Amino acid sequence: MAQVSTNEFKAGVKVEVEGQPYTIVSNEFVKPGKGQAFNRVRLKHLMTNRVVEKTFKSGDKVDVADVVEAKMRMLYKENDGVNFMDDDTFEQVKVPLDSIGDNIQWLKDDLVYDIIFYKGNPVTVEPPTFLELVITETNPGDRGNTASGRVMKPAILETGAKIQVPIFIEQGEKIKVDTRTGEYVSRST
Amino acid sequence: MFLEVPKNLSKISVLKDRAHMLAQVRAFFSDKNVLEVDCPLATTFASIDTHIDLLPALYNNQTTRYLTSSPEYGMKRLLAQGMGHIYQLAHVFRDGECGNKHNPEFMMIEWYRLDFTLQQMSQETCNLIQLFIGPLPMQVISYREAFQKFLNVDYVHTTEKQLLELIQEKKIETYPGIEEDGKDALLNLLLATCIEPQLGEKALCILQHYPASQCALATKKQIEDEFVAERFEIYYQGLELANGYHELTDAKEQRKRFVISNSERLKNGKKELPIDEYFLSALEKGLPNCSGVAVGFDRLMMIRHQTPFIEDVIPFSWEKA
Repeated sequence: MAQVSTNEFKAGVKVEVEGQPYTIVSNEFVKPGKGQAFNRVRLKHLMTNRVVEKTFKSGDKVDVADVVEAKMRMLYKENDGVNFMDDDTFEQVKVPLDSIGDNIQWLKDDLVYDIIFYKGNPVTVEPPTFLELVITETNPGDRGNTASGRVMKPAILETGAKIQVPIFIEQGEKIKVDTRTGEYVSRST
Repeated sequence: MFLEVPKNLSKISVLKDRAHMLAQVRAFFSDKNVLEVDCPLATTFASIDTHIDLLPALYNNQTTRYLTSSPEYGMKRLLAQGMGHIYQLAHVFRDGECGNKHNPEFMMIEWYRLDFTLQQMSQETCNLIQLFIGPLPMQVISYREAFQKFLNVDYVHTTEKQLLELIQEKKIETYPGIEEDGKDALLNLLLATCIEPQLGEKALCILQHYPASQCALATKKQIEDEFVAERFEIYYQGLELANGYHELTDAKEQRKRFVISNSERLKNGKKELPIDEYFLSALEKGLPNCSGVAVGFDRLMMIRHQTPFIEDVIPFSWEKA
């Protein structure tokens, strides 16, 4: 199995530690006086997103996680998963709902997503950071209530995501949303 | 004495200040009649240290030379030949040492003073540091006192097992295999994680009298029931700035330490390094009683410009060099 040394640890590198796949978040090189150098590394679990801190002796090697990322277009949803297709190879894969988790709220037919495979199995679906989506449900804004800055109201997007939008946004409008935070960014241009 | 630090942290303004500070350092030594030397940086023999790795350079496509990790051996050869007080202001190289506070190539100020005690040496080192960051007060703490103060243990009478328990209790993540690396490795981890970050909050902190087992090129002596190395380090805001010794002059003892370091390197899966016979024969001829220190120039610039990143104070980062 391919290995990577602590010297090459950078944010985004995928490693396997104690049988679990992690993405490196940050890597701090520590060398006190004339002593043994070590690296304090923050790792995010690929599936659970839990962040842990681990210490490695500098220069030690760990296994590279068998992780492949692919850009795939969403085809259709089923009861137990969502189907995606690779535009180049036409290869199709069904990602189980468990692996998609909360990101189900950002899935829309015909959009391209990052699918992460661990040991050949799809484990995560990453939506684009920004999506432009239509508002399918929101109450008309109460015009009398705009005096104190930005007043927000709940809205439901076409993918099912529930977000807050400014009071002047109407049902049927297309807006830009940040999928990392679920925050409204702007009207769609 | 303290120079107004430019507030604007644009790279060019920092580099202009860097040029200014290089000149200030030279003036500092010139005022004290300490002579500048420029010992070679690509040498036949290597600095041997258990935990410092060297960058090799290939000469004539066949002979390995080593880029120096410190000009120490060359400077001591000059001391043995009667050069007197000397300093070297030059880049040094350390393989694999790359991070926010480390660049594998960095600027070192190293100097030697004849007949200086460890205390005089640490005092003068603080004076140099004050050129960069103003007239800060100084505090002195021994290695043993630091462990007592911050961890409530007397390291001299603490076993490896007790240190391991302490590490677990403090919830410090260890690296695999630390148990086999011995007591110094455990002390080292505790120092780095629990003590160093707290050293020198408001003053220049001189940490001195390291365990004799961490003596490197320092003389040893006994204080009550403790064998210590006459070695100090200086910290400010948790950042290590300097490492100084009352220098070992005994050639036999020096050779013994090289052999030990090499065997430790082998144990750690590293290559043995060739022993510098030029340096040892200089010691046999007679190194005058002296103290010496190495100071990281870039670290001083980092504090002067209040940045946690070494790449902010050097022309080009390692990645882009």
